[in-house]
Amino acid sequence: MQLATKLSLITCTLLTYSALQAEDYVSVQYVHYDEESGRTTVMAPALEISKDFGTDYTLKASIVADSISGASPTWYDSSSGASAFSRDTTALENITYNNVDYDDTRTAGSIALTTRFASRDELTVGYNRSYESDYESNELSAEYLYNLDRSRNRTLSFGLSYQLNRVLAKEYTSTNDRLRDDDDDDDDNYDSSSGASKALDVNVLTAEIGFTQILNATSLAKASLFFINEDGYLSNPYMNVVRYYNQNGNGTAEVKAENKPDTRTAYGLTLQYISALSDTLSANISYRFYNDDWGIDSHTINTELYYEYGDHWLLGGGVRYYVQSDADFYSDRKDYFTNEFYASSDRRMSDFDALSYRLNARYRVNDSWSINTGVTYYDQSKHFDAIYYTLGLKYYF
Amino acid sequence: MKCIGIILITLFIGGCSGMTHVKPWEKERLSRDSMSNAAGNTLVSKFDAHVYFSKEASKGGGGVSGGGCGCN
Repeated sequence: MQLATKLSLITCTLLTYSALQAEDYVSVQYVHYDEESGRTTVMAPALEISKDFGTDYTLKASIVADSISGASPTWYDSSSGASAFSRDTTALENITYNNVDYDDTRTAGSIALTTRFASRDELTVGYNRSYESDYESNELSAEYLYNLDRSRNRTLSFGLSYQLNRVLAKEYTSTNDRLRDDDDDDDDNYDSSSGASKALDVNVLTAEIGFTQILNATSLAKASLFFINEDGYLSNPYMNVVRYYNQNGNGTAEVKAENKPDTRTAYGLTLQYISALSDTLSANISYRFYNDDWGIDSHTINTELYYEYGDHWLLGGGVRYYVQSDADFYSDRKDYFTNEFYASSDRRMSDFDALSYRLNARYRVNDSWSINTGVTYYDQSKHFDAIYYTLGLKYYF
Repeated sequence: MKCIGIILITLFIGGCSGMTHVKPWEKERLSRDSMSNAAGNTLVSKFDAHVYFSKEASKGGGGVSGGGCGCN
């Protein structure tokens, strides 16, 4: 009887081990994103591959190519044409808040290697790179997963990443824009006719500590604290503000580049609970609190529900609610700013809330193939709404 | 805020200390894709994060690896 029990235990363990093994796969996804009235359209094909090498190593790599076209709203001097760089002292009737056209492409890639030790603790080391014509980003990251018990029911994770971003500030007019530049080479301003440009750095340090607890055979909970420190040129080179609106009744105002602080420090907390409500129904709910020294607080609640229909279908839906306060230096008014050092009319710095709704479905064709599709509607109060579709194919090997 | 966060995490960890001990062979249900964010589709997850990052002022909380972007 004892032998039978042991054998069944071993068999069960082997079966479970096999079921829990991550599958190697290649995933191809295509995303089409549209904002209202065609303000911004993004087409983003992406490829990801994940491959185990024995039981101790997993290599994951991905690449995405975004093609972006559309328009972004800002203040500008319309007497010089509809350009984000139309900055000058201008007559009041020439001050315009409207969309400025832009096109861009972005190529981003990532690679990460996970190593598992004898204790089954994990170390993941990763590299991310993103490139646009006016922006370049390189990031190194490391995350250590520490098992607090032998059954891996309780884990701690420690993550750290360093990101070096480089902003290419182009076509600044020679007299009207203050570019963040602390060196002494007297090249703060650029003449658009010269085509000169300058790279300005943004350093981002992110740290996160997380705790995961398996509560029982059908539910688990996670919590994490995170810290983000950004340092460098944090303004958006395409965003403008209006200063000195009709000061002393002179009938003019100045359109200037926005100016955000050079540093930003943020803290946050996330809590997540995932539970199998039945053998085929799962719920996932999470909350995030965020606070930074620009005066922005935000709360995010995300819920997802998944239903496994038969052996092939996985159907999902979710709702996300987000609300934020505005930055200390934000105003969308043209008669607000005079000589304040920090000033921004970037709508992302304003107070607003947003709701997004998602539906998705995956069909597992056989052991080797699955296809998926989804649609997400994003509605930001006050500003805009967007819809995006995903279509994907995954090959397991 | 830091203090509140640390207190919440401490309470969370303390509250979890008396949890049921789940054996490895009892975790089949937990290992399914339906128990992961975006049903385990990491590319879609990344795109979602990218949309929120480029349209909102907050970020973070989804791991330290995300990569930078000029969209913000």
